[in-house]
Amino acid sequence: MPEKNEIILELKEVNKSFGGLLAVNKVNLSVSKGELRSLIGPNGAGKTTLLNLINGTLPVSGGHIFFKEKEITNLSPHRISHAGIARTLQITSLFSGLTVYENIWTAVQSRKKFFNPFIRALKWEDVKEKTESMLELTGFKDKAHLVCSELSYGDQRILEMGIALSTEPALLLLDEPTAGLNSQESMALVKKMRSMLSGQTIILVEHDMGVVMELADNISVLHYGAILAEGTPDVIQENEEVKKVYLGSEHA
Amino acid sequence: MFLQKGKSFGFILIFALILLVLIALPFSVDLFYQTFLTELFVWILFAISFDLIFGYTGLLSFGQALFFGLGSYTVTILIRKFGLNTELSLLLSIVIPILFAWFVGYFSVRLTGIHFVIITIIFAIIGNVIGDTWTSLTGGADGLTFSPPPFRLGFFQINLMDIKGNYYFVLTIVAISFLFLRRMIQSPLGKVFISIRENDERARLIGYNVQRYKLIAFMIAGGLSGLAGGLYSLTLKYASAGYLHWSVSGHAVVYTIVGGMGTLIGPALGAAIVMSLEHYLINFLQATDLVVGIALVFMVLVAPKGLVGLIQSRLKRGKTSA
Repeated sequence: MPEKNEIILELKEVNKSFGGLLAVNKVNLSVSKGELRSLIGPNGAGKTTLLNLINGTLPVSGGHIFFKEKEITNLSPHRISHAGIARTLQITSLFSGLTVYENIWTAVQSRKKFFNPFIRALKWEDVKEKTESMLELTGFKDKAHLVCSELSYGDQRILEMGIALSTEPALLLLDEPTAGLNSQESMALVKKMRSMLSGQTIILVEHDMGVVMELADNISVLHYGAILAEGTPDVIQENEEVKKVYLGSEHA
Repeated sequence: MFLQKGKSFGFILIFALILLVLIALPFSVDLFYQTFLTELFVWILFAISFDLIFGYTGLLSFGQALFFGLGSYTVTILIRKFGLNTELSLLLSIVIPILFAWFVGYFSVRLTGIHFVIITIIFAIIGNVIGDTWTSLTGGADGLTFSPPPFRLGFFQINLMDIKGNYYFVLTIVAISFLFLRRMIQSPLGKVFISIRENDERARLIGYNVQRYKLIAFMIAGGLSGLAGGLYSLTLKYASAGYLHWSVSGHAVVYTIVGGMGTLIGPALGAAIVMSLEHYLINFLQATDLVVGIALVFMVLVAPKGLVGLIQSRLKRGKTSA
C-alpha cells in the first residue's frame, strides 16, 4: 500500500458548528492517492458531518478543504461531484423506481456536458459501453433489468457504490456501507468491495470494527468532532486513548 | 422503464392509426364535434405539458394555468390590438410563457414539496388578479374576442375561421408537440428529469445541477402550456382572465391522474375520457364535476398509477403467468 504518496485531499482546520454545538472541531486530515482511510469514532463524533463538509452537502463554519490542490470549500455537491468526489449515504439512496441498468446509466451519463433533448439516449454508444462494463464490474449483469426496489438490501448497498463509481471519482466517500447488514452480509459486502474498489482512494466511515481492520490502510479516530488519533490499524488498536473512548467497550 | 428497445415500432403503429382516425373523423362528424375534438386536442397538449413537469420531473405545479392564460392572451392581444400575423403570435405564445416560467421558476424550483405547490399557486393567483383588474388590456372576466388571419407557412395556408381547417391545424401542432415531448423524455435530458423525480438528492450527488434542470423542465412545460393556451384562443377566438385562474391547472392534474402520470399517453387518454364523460353527463345533470370527482377518488384508490398503469400491470401479470 502506498505510504507517503501524493496527497489528494487535504482538510485544514475545518470547523462546523450547529448553533452552539461544535460538531467538527479544527480537523486536519490528509488522504493520499490510493489510500483507504477509515474514519471511526463513537456515535455523534462528527463522522458523517465531516463527509457532508467534504462533499458540500453542508457549508463549513471555518477552515479550508483542498482536493487535487484546488480549494473546494463550500462548493455545491454537484460541482464537487464533477471535481471527482463521489459519495454514498448511510441510508441507501438510489433511483428506486428505475431499473439497475437505468441507475447506472444515469450516473455514467452525468459526466457528459450537454444533454441533447432531440436524440435518443441509447444513441450514446460510449455511455452504453461504460454502463455495461460497470454492470460487469459490480456483478449486476444478470439483474440489470430488475427495478432496484426488487433487489435485496445488500445488493442495494452495492448498487449505490456502483452508482458512485460510475461517475469515475478520484475519491470515494462511503458512509457506513454495512449499516443494516448482518455479519454474514457484511463479510460478503467486504469481499465485493475488495474486488470492486481495488486501487480506489476511499474515505470509509464505518462502525463495524471487523470491516475497518480488514479494509483500512489508515484510520483516523474522531471524538467530539476532533481527531483523537491517527495511524495504521495496528497502531490504533494499541492506542490507549482510543481504547478508552471507543474500542474499550468491545475489547474489555 | 426508459431504456427499453423494441417498443418504438408498436408506438409508431398505434400513433399512426390514431392519427389516421383523427384525420378521417371530420368527414363523418358535424361541426359541433369537430370543435369539441379540437378543444380536446388543446387540453391534451396542456395535460402532457403538465406531465413533463409533474409526471417526469416530480414537481406538482399549479402554475400551468398562468402559462396557459399567458399564451392565450399573447395570441389574442397581438392579433387584436397589434394586428400581428397568426404565425408570429403563436410563436410568441410559446416564447413569452417561457420567459415568465423562467422568472417564476427562478423562485419556485429552490422550494420542494408542498412549498413548491403553494408558490406556483400564488404566482397563478397573482396572474389571475392582474388579468381581472387590468381590464383595458385583458378585458377582465368578460374577455376579448378577435378574428385570427389565416396561418401561412411558405405557400401553405390554413383558414382558422374554418372549423375544419382549425381542427387540422390544432391536430398537427398537438401531434408534433406530443412527438417532441416523447423524444425529449427518451433523450439524455429526459433521463436527467426522471432521475430528479426519482431521487433529487442522489441526482445532485452524481453531479446534476438539480435546480438548473428543474428550471429547464419548468420552462419547457411552461412554453408548451402557453402554446396550448394560444391554440385554445385561436380555436375559440377569445381569451379571458378566467384562463389564468389556478384551477385551470386542476384540469391537467385530473387528466394526468386518471390517465397515469409519467406516461405521456396517459394524460392524453385521461383528457379524452374525462372530457367525453363531462360532455355526455351534462345532458343528464348539472353536477358533472361531482361525478368526475368521484371518478378521480376511485382512480386514486384503485389505480394510483392511472389507467395506463392499470393496463401495464395487467399486461405484466399476464406475461409472468404465461
